[in-house]
Amino acid sequence: MTPLLRVGAAALAVALCAGPAMAHAPIPGIKGFYIGALHPFSTPPQALMMLGAGLLVAGHAVYRAKFFFAGFALTSLLGLFTGQPPAWLDTAMYAAAALVCALAALLPGRVLPGATLLTALCGLLIGMASVPDPGPARDMAFTMSGALFGANLGLLYIWGGTLFLKERIPQDWLAIGLRILAAWIGAIALLMLALAYAPAA
Amino acid sequence: MPARTLALLLALALDCLAAPQVALAHSGDGYGGGFVAGVTHPILGWDHVAAMVAVGLWGAFLGAPAIWILPVVFPLVMAFGAVLGILGIPVPAVETGIALSAVVLGLMIVFAVRPPLWVAAVIVGAFAIFHGYAHGTELPATVNAFAYAVGFVISTGLLHLIGIAFGLLVKWPAGRLAVRGAGGVISLAGVAFLTGAV
Repeated sequence: MTPLLRVGAAALAVALCAGPAMAHAPIPGIKGFYIGALHPFSTPPQALMMLGAGLLVAGHAVYRAKFFFAGFALTSLLGLFTGQPPAWLDTAMYAAAALVCALAALLPGRVLPGATLLTALCGLLIGMASVPDPGPARDMAFTMSGALFGANLGLLYIWGGTLFLKERIPQDWLAIGLRILAAWIGAIALLMLALAYAPAA
Repeated sequence: MPARTLALLLALALDCLAAPQVALAHSGDGYGGGFVAGVTHPILGWDHVAAMVAVGLWGAFLGAPAIWILPVVFPLVMAFGAVLGILGIPVPAVETGIALSAVVLGLMIVFAVRPPLWVAAVIVGAFAIFHGYAHGTELPATVNAFAYAVGFVISTGLLHLIGIAFGLLVKWPAGRLAVRGAGGVISLAGVAFLTGAV
């Protein structure tokens, strides 16, 4: 593929991308499995937590990734069967996002048990947040399987994308930039957590 | 016109035509419309600007690993300070602490003070609480909170990066002088903030 064709393809991809993202109707006409797949990135607390978890996992050695992905997959599956999401779920996700980001920023590649537990907690919360509204069992099953797929694939892509960048850009500043990014995301999550508990809220 | 250029222009035109229609010039929320309010809040207060830039300058002056430890520590601790402010937990002498941060950080740069890394992190972190607290208490009530938080953190981080970029001049003798001079200016500005002259 020539560079020009690549530019054209990229432009077409951008042109065809979706409009505003909404929590329960990301793209008109898409339902079931795909709604579930998009759901883990559809609200700020979920997106921040997923990004933070991805950066945390990417900070560890590749051979350790199996612990994180196994824990995340199991707990996200478990979370899907906890019933309708509780009211405190968003604040819990902001708290989890702040914790994973702080760990990714301050101690990357260290505290394996804590990082594994936190990633598993993120999986549980994302599963809980992805429980669909009540409806026919078949539709709910499709949406839930999409959510499971989307959450785990999302984490895999954030991790893989970060590893790809590290491989292509071996300079030190990339690792520093990733830590600063984690610190910024953690700071945003912490602010949102505080706003949830603000006296006027 | 060459075919390649034409094809590129067509692709870009297609982009413009088919791009999502969510970006509006006037959101209806006025100046305090979330992201813009968050971005402008840290940069409209000169005391904050001076301290944020000083953190980056000092980090660059200290070299690795301080160059990245300080900008990593600052946003997290500042967010913690904002939490205190948002929740209404009293912190004494906030304005004095903010002005002192410019004085102290400026002096650190002027005299090329090189404390152990943890001491530098504690100094920066302590001042970050005052800055975060002030930002937290001044959060506009009408804005989109998430957009505000994103803009606020990005703006603060970019101020650090400006300081770091300028601080990288320390590699050259003249640059070292310029960086230490900038520290002096920041410190004097801090004195002005402290005495109410500005």
